[in-house]
Amino acid sequence: MKMKVRKARLFQFGPAGVIALVLLTLPLYADLSIVSLFTKILIFGLLVMSLDLLVGYTGLSAFGHAAFFGIAAYTIAILIKHFGITSFWLAAPAGILMAVFAACIFGLVALRVSGIYFLLITLAMGQLVYGIVHTSVGPLGALTGGSDGLGGVSFPEIMGFSFEAETYYYFTFASFIVCALLLYWITRSPFGYGLQGIRENAIRARALGYNTWLYQYIAFIIGGLFAGIAGMLYVYYNGFISPEGVGIGASGLLWLMLIIGGTGTLWGSLLGSGVILTLQYFVSGFTPERWPLILGVCFVAVIMFYRGGLLPQLINLWNRLMER
Amino acid sequence: MGTVVATLLNGVSYGMVLFLIASGLSLTLGLMGIVNLAHGVIFVLGGFVGLFVARATGSFLLAVLAGGIASGVAGLIIERGFLRFLYKQNLPQVLVTFGFIYILTNLMLWVCGPQPRSAFVPSYFAGSVVIAGVSFPFHRFAIMGIGIAIGAVLWWLQEKTKVGAIIRAGMDNAEMVGGLGINLTPINVGAFFFGSAIAGASCVIGVQLFGSVGFGDGMDMLLVAVAVIIVGGVGSVQGALVGALLIGIIDTFGRVYLPAISQYTMYLVLILVLVVRPSGLLGRRL
Repeated sequence: MKMKVRKARLFQFGPAGVIALVLLTLPLYADLSIVSLFTKILIFGLLVMSLDLLVGYTGLSAFGHAAFFGIAAYTIAILIKHFGITSFWLAAPAGILMAVFAACIFGLVALRVSGIYFLLITLAMGQLVYGIVHTSVGPLGALTGGSDGLGGVSFPEIMGFSFEAETYYYFTFASFIVCALLLYWITRSPFGYGLQGIRENAIRARALGYNTWLYQYIAFIIGGLFAGIAGMLYVYYNGFISPEGVGIGASGLLWLMLIIGGTGTLWGSLLGSGVILTLQYFVSGFTPERWPLILGVCFVAVIMFYRGGLLPQLINLWNRLMER
Repeated sequence: MGTVVATLLNGVSYGMVLFLIASGLSLTLGLMGIVNLAHGVIFVLGGFVGLFVARATGSFLLAVLAGGIASGVAGLIIERGFLRFLYKQNLPQVLVTFGFIYILTNLMLWVCGPQPRSAFVPSYFAGSVVIAGVSFPFHRFAIMGIGIAIGAVLWWLQEKTKVGAIIRAGMDNAEMVGGLGINLTPINVGAFFFGSAIAGASCVIGVQLFGSVGFGDGMDMLLVAVAVIIVGGVGSVQGALVGALLIGIIDTFGRVYLPAISQYTMYLVLILVLVVRPSGLLGRRL
């Protein structure tokens, strides 16, 4: 009996272990461009996970999520480029805190409405951030670089250790694991179940004594926090941030990744990020100018025919195979 | 004084274009509970087709008509081909329209090339009027006139006709309207078609104000239209008009007097209205 349980557990976590092992040993056998692609997949995986906490677990259709990512990235780039603050321990927390601060304010405004209106307000606030970083004139334009974006960020140096592309991959991997486990723990905590209760039936949750507004507000801030961490990882990885990484296009892409991976599954986000970014990697090799068209068709096709997402389907398939 | 008057007039004519764009968006949002995020791209599509026809035939009226029909058909394809299979699933419907932003923009780029199209001003709108010492192009008055005329027709349709009564009832309680034996499907399809058509036609008309229309304008216009319906309130012609004039005037003044923050003055209005009145200034309900 005990053996059987152990065997079932082995089968259940086997694929996750294999994936973790592949990711862990990736730089040993893959080219630098593949390692770079996987760094990006991990960063966007985390970003989409933070969106999943809002969409899949809390039922808040946030459509401006890339803004928090961008705020953290821009803050760090500005601190490094214009203020000469190169210390990772100053710039990175400042960037993440700015994202959290923005989430605190945006959440206050956006949570005054619900449903499709929430989507529209978050979209508008995301574009507000886009408008701010896109402004080329005035002191702000000098700070953010306007539509040209802001570059000149290199891999960080932490406690005397300078990161390179490969070692930064490990740094991203470790950060991803820690953040993902934290998010997983949040969704499995009483707080997380409270969020899911609100998603299913906000009125009943309120009747049961939950302060639904506060739960949603805290979830929104946590989403902003992890999006900020992803933005921090991204700006050090990419060395450059432009308004395109902040606006509605970026936020929409996150939704596509979320739905392809499976909404409300948390780990599916990594899968969705992997599918889309790998596709982009290959498509931009031969027809970069038609990438938006392919993306749009993916978007419509996935929503029309494939809203369940990859992860739940893969889990089903795996379980069926194991039962045989 | 002269600049203030000119800016005000510019703001009002800009507001009229915004009103035309937003009225379609507001109608479908009120009726079907969805926001057509492709509305901005449909606006640009109408402009491109209309300006092509204008250059080919030299007729402004034909151009407006062609632009409207092209946009209306695009809206019809999105509704009949896709949205109706996602009946009552508002979020997926909105996401599908988001996908169409990419599809339509890229297809148009492929067919038309990336250059923006410059405005077509018919000879009978040429010339200018001097007001308070500032010369003011006549076509801006024409835009205001067309806006007021279309707005009046829309208001009459929605408030004084039987179809309008069905529309208003559908916004309040679609199930009850269905239960009374009224088929809302043709109403929804019609709203989608006319909402898109007005957006396309308004691009041909409004481009006289902007000078030219390019692909970036689609997203900009969508966002302004979203701001308009949130500020004005969803589901009524009056709401769209008030929101559009407010945003149009404030945005134009922002561009003249506060260029450093002009890209987001509109959002400040939006946030202010949301904090004070989440249902918009003249909203039906939320």
